[in-house]
Amino acid sequence: MVMADEEENGVSIQLEFPKGRVKKIMALDKDVKRVSSEALFLVSRSTELFLQFLAEKSAQVAIEKKRKTVNLEHIRVAVKRHQPTRDFLLDELPPPSQAAKPDKPTQPAGRPKLDPAPRGTRCIDQFFRKPEPENTAQAPGQPPENPAQAQSPENPDQDQAQSPVPVDES
Amino acid sequence: MLPQEQDRFLPIVNVSHIMKKVMPANAKILKYFINFITGEASNKCQREKRKTINGDDLLWVMTTLGFEDYVEPLKGYL
Repeated sequence: MVMADEEENGVSIQLEFPKGRVKKIMALDKDVKRVSSEALFLVSRSTELFLQFLAEKSAQVAIEKKRKTVNLEHIRVAVKRHQPTRDFLLDELPPPSQAAKPDKPTQPAGRPKLDPAPRGTRCIDQFFRKPEPENTAQAPGQPPENPAQAQSPENPDQDQAQSPVPVDES
Repeated sequence: MLPQEQDRFLPIVNVSHIMKKVMPANAKILKYFINFITGEASNKCQREKRKTINGDDLLWVMTTLGFEDYVEPLKGYL
């Protein structure tokens, strides 16, 4: 790609992006033959404006989501909200599965994560442990004062299950 | 003691550190933007049988593609 009109026409504005790099990116399109220095300047400056716009909109999304750091997901939302940007950029962004990094390290594949056991169930390890000696304050041989207390706390409805239910035989 | 000018802003190192986390994505995005704008301007030049992309081509492309907000600020630089 040949540069035409190399003179700057008296413009001495400092660009944020290196001219050479912008020119190389423009030259990636094989159809581009020549680019005037004015055009190169405008592409560079418009890219700055675009970055400024995208940064502002992405920061706005991050604030809405109560985050302090802008991440790729915020950029994606900002892109979706602006129709012209969405048209050319949405397909170029990496898919959410790649972009979203899990906060916690993933578990090894050998042991799948199980759902928590229902309340009241005991771990199988308890079958193989020696029973701990019970420290009861009552004297041996005396029955407990309240029969409801004698039942295991794991099954409080036991007395209701054992007592016969009266049935009308009419 | 009056605060210095730079003391009224966040340290640039800290700001850039946060921005760098997003930079790989941003760098690609800007490349796509340049390619998009240049490609459309190049198509216009081909239709009009010209070889050199000039400033007017880019301003026309930006207006056509929905980036008309950039046209006025850019005209000020020409």
